[in-house]
Amino acid sequence: MKKRKMFVFLTMLMYLFVLVGCSDGNDAKTVSTNNKKKTELVYASAKDINDMNPHLYGGSMPAQGMVYESLVENTEDGIKPLLAESWEISKDGKVYTFHLREDVKFHDGEPFNAEAVKKNIEAVQNNAEKHSWIKLSTKIESVNIVDAYTVELVLSEAYYPTLVELSMTRPYVFLSPKDFKNGGTKDGVNGFNGTGPYILTKHKTDEYATFKANENYWGGSPEIKKITSKVLPAGETTFLALQKGEVNFVFTDDRGADSLDVEAMNQLVDSGDYQLVRSEPMNTKMIVANSSKSDNPVSETAVREAIWHSIDRETISKDILNGTETVANTLFSPNVNYADVDLKKRGYDLEEAKEILEESGWAAKDGSDVRTKDGKKLAMKLYYDSNSSSQKTQAEFIQASVKEIGIQLEIIGEESTSIANRRSTGDYDLLFNQTWGLAYDPQSTISAFTSEASYLHTTSGIANSDELYKKIDEVMVSPDEKTRKSLYADILTIVHDEAVFIPISNGSVTVVAPKNLKGISFKQTQFELPFELMNFE
Amino acid sequence: MGSYIIKRLFISIPLLLVISFLTFILINLSPLDPVEVVLQAQGVPTITDELIAQTKDELGMDKPFIIRYFDWVIACLQLDFGVSYVTGKPVWSLIGPAFLNTLKLTLVSSVVIIVLSILLGVICAMKEGEIMDKSVRGFSFFLTAMPSYWMATLMIWYFSVKVDLLPTSGMESYKSYILPVIVIAISYAGIYFRVVRSSMLSNLNEDYVLYGRACGLTERKVTMHILRNSLQVAISIFCMAIPIILGSTVVIENVFAWPGLGSLSVRAILGRDFPIIQAYVLILAVAFVLFNTISDIINAVMNPKLRNEI
Repeated sequence: MKKRKMFVFLTMLMYLFVLVGCSDGNDAKTVSTNNKKKTELVYASAKDINDMNPHLYGGSMPAQGMVYESLVENTEDGIKPLLAESWEISKDGKVYTFHLREDVKFHDGEPFNAEAVKKNIEAVQNNAEKHSWIKLSTKIESVNIVDAYTVELVLSEAYYPTLVELSMTRPYVFLSPKDFKNGGTKDGVNGFNGTGPYILTKHKTDEYATFKANENYWGGSPEIKKITSKVLPAGETTFLALQKGEVNFVFTDDRGADSLDVEAMNQLVDSGDYQLVRSEPMNTKMIVANSSKSDNPVSETAVREAIWHSIDRETISKDILNGTETVANTLFSPNVNYADVDLKKRGYDLEEAKEILEESGWAAKDGSDVRTKDGKKLAMKLYYDSNSSSQKTQAEFIQASVKEIGIQLEIIGEESTSIANRRSTGDYDLLFNQTWGLAYDPQSTISAFTSEASYLHTTSGIANSDELYKKIDEVMVSPDEKTRKSLYADILTIVHDEAVFIPISNGSVTVVAPKNLKGISFKQTQFELPFELMNFE
Repeated sequence: MGSYIIKRLFISIPLLLVISFLTFILINLSPLDPVEVVLQAQGVPTITDELIAQTKDELGMDKPFIIRYFDWVIACLQLDFGVSYVTGKPVWSLIGPAFLNTLKLTLVSSVVIIVLSILLGVICAMKEGEIMDKSVRGFSFFLTAMPSYWMATLMIWYFSVKVDLLPTSGMESYKSYILPVIVIAISYAGIYFRVVRSSMLSNLNEDYVLYGRACGLTERKVTMHILRNSLQVAISIFCMAIPIILGSTVVIENVFAWPGLGSLSVRAILGRDFPIIQAYVLILAVAFVLFNTISDIINAVMNPKLRNEI
C-alpha cells in the first residue's frame, strides 16, 4: 500500500515538473504581441532563417540581405556603388580595381578593408564547386590588395556579367574575417557579422529570429529599429496572426510562393489595417519541354508550338491567379536586360494549334480524341509541384485545353526536389519551372541552358543546339555591348522559335504591410527587400 | 520484477536494430540520388557531377550500404549520432530541442487526455443510456470526426483573433500550450473515454460488485473498485498514446508553428538527411518500448495478480 502511494506521488511530482518546465517565462516578452510601436516589423516566414553563412546556400535570402552587403548594387538604372565607392575595368576586361568606402565597419567592430575583401572572396573560391552556378567563380584568378582600401580582382578572361554577379545576395558578400572557421567559411562560421543595416541579435531555431538596426550603419541608421522573422509554416495561421497583429508583414518567399492566397490578402486589405504592394514583373513562370526525349512527341517543334497556342494565358492570369500575375508571351519580359527583342507572336488560338498538328502529320482519326502519327499516340506527361495549389489548377486547365486539340496530357504532382531531379536527369516530358529573376537574367537562366542540372535536356534536342551553345559561350565573354545585344537576340530567337520554354505568366513580389508603412520598394531581385528604406508614418 | 524489466529492455535491443535497419533500407530504396537531394536541400543552385562526387566522398556515401549501416550502429553505441547532412550541425543539437518541445506538448496533452477520458468514461458508464451518456458520446463523435488542422484553425480564429485571449502560435509562454493541447486532447480523449466506459460497463455485472453492494459499501466506494479494475486496459492504451502522439504531432505543429519533432522529421525526410531520420526513428522506437514497459509496470503495481505472472 505504501509503495503504491509512493508511486502515485512520484508520478504526480513528475507531471508537476513537466508542467512547470513548460513555461519558460522569460522568453515570453521577446516576441512582443503588441507591435503597434512604430519602429518594429514582424514578418511571417514559412521557414526558419537557417544557417546565415553568406557563402553557402542554406540561409534565408531576405535575412541575409539585411545583414550582408556586396561591393556593388544592381538597380533599375544599372550597377551602382555600395561597399565599393568606384571602380575601374582594365582595357582587356580582365582586371577590376575597386576603391572601397573607408567608413564601413563590420557589426563586431572590425574594419571593412581590402584585406577583408580578399579573405572573403578567397573563402568563396575555396569552395568553388558549390558556386558553379555563378560563372564568375570559375573566372577569378586572384584578389590582390593594392592599398588598405583598394583591391584588385583578376580574371582569367574578360567576363561581362562580373559586376552583376558581384552584386548578388550571395556568395560575394562580406563577413567579418573574425567569424571565419579555420581561415575559411566552407565548414561553417563562428558568427554572422556583416556590414549591412541590420544585426542578427537572437535566433531560436524554428521559432523566430530578431534583427536590430545597425546604429553605426554607413548609410545612416534605419528607421525601422527591429525586425523579427517569425516561423509560421501554415498559411491559415499566418492569416490569423496578421489579423491579430502578432505579425504585421508578409512577402513572397524565396521560392516565389505566397503563404497567403489572394482571397486572404484582399480580406486583409479590406480590413483597412493593411496595404498590398506589388513589384514589377520579376520572373517568368513557364512550362519547360524536354526536346531531347526523342521517343516522345514533345521532341517535335510543331507539338510544342501547338501546346503554346492552346494555352489561354488571359484566363490563367485573370481567373486562376486572380490578376496577381500578368500574361507572359516570351521567356523574358521586355523589362529584362537585352530581352526587348522582336519575336514571333504566338497567341491563344486553338484552330491554329490544330492546323500545326495536322500539317506535321498528327491526324485525328474519326471517333478518337487523341491524335496519332505512325501508330503513336500524341500523349505526354506534365509534372507540377504538388505543394503549389496554383500550379495544380493551371495544370488541370491546360490538360483540358490541349485535349481539345487532340493531345492527351497526363498531369502528375510531385515534391519540388523530385521535380528538380527530373529536370537534371531528363526524365520528363513537360514540367513547370521559372526563370531566375531580374537581377540574374538573362545571363543566369541562359547559362543554365548548357548546364546538365538545369536546362540541358530542354535545349539539347533542338535542331541548331550547337549554334545555340556556341552563342551562349560567346555572349558571356564578349566585351562589346553591341555584339552582346545581337547575340542575346539570336539566342532568344532560337529558343523562342523552337518553343522549348512555353511562358505562362510573369511573377512578381507581393508585400502585405501595415497601412501606415511608407517607403516600401523593391530590389532587382525577388529574394530581398530594402527594409532600411521603410518607415512608419 | 526487476529482472523482468531488465529482460524486457534487453529484448528490445535487437528490435531497435531491426527497426533502424528497415529504415535504412527504406530510405535507400528511394529512386532519387540522396546526395543530390541533400545538395538541393542545402540550396545549392546548380549541382554539378563533380560536386556530387565530392559531397559523396565527404559524407561517406560512396561506401556500400551495409558498411554505412554498421558504421552508424557502432557510432551510435558510442553515443555519437553524427552530423546532419544538410546543415552540418550535430544531430543531437537539432533533434534534442525539437524532441523536448514535442515531449512537453505530448506530456501535457496526455495528462489532459487521461483525466478527461476517465472522467467522461465514468460519467457515461454510471449514466448508461441516459441523456448525459448519449449526448457526450454523440458530441465526442462529432468532434473526433473533424480533421485536427481544421479544428485547430477554428480554435485559433475564435480564441486568438475574436476573443483575443491566447497567442495564435509559437511557444512563448504557458498560454501557447492551451490551444494545441485542447486540439490533441479532443481527438484522443474522444476515443479513449469509450474504452474506459465499456470496460466499466463490463465490470458492473461482476460478482464482486454485487458482493460489495450486499456488504453495504457506499455506491462511491463500489464505483472506485469498478474503476480500478476497469483501468487495466485503459492504462495500456494511455501509455501507448504517449509515443503515438509523440510521433504524430506534425499537423498540429505545422498549424501552431510548434518547433518540434514533426516538422523537423518531415524536413529531414524531404532533404534525405539520413542521420536525422535515423535518430528520429530510434527515438520513437525507444519511446514505444519504454512506454510499453511502463504500462506493464503500472499494471503490475495496481494488480498484484499480474505481479506473479511477470
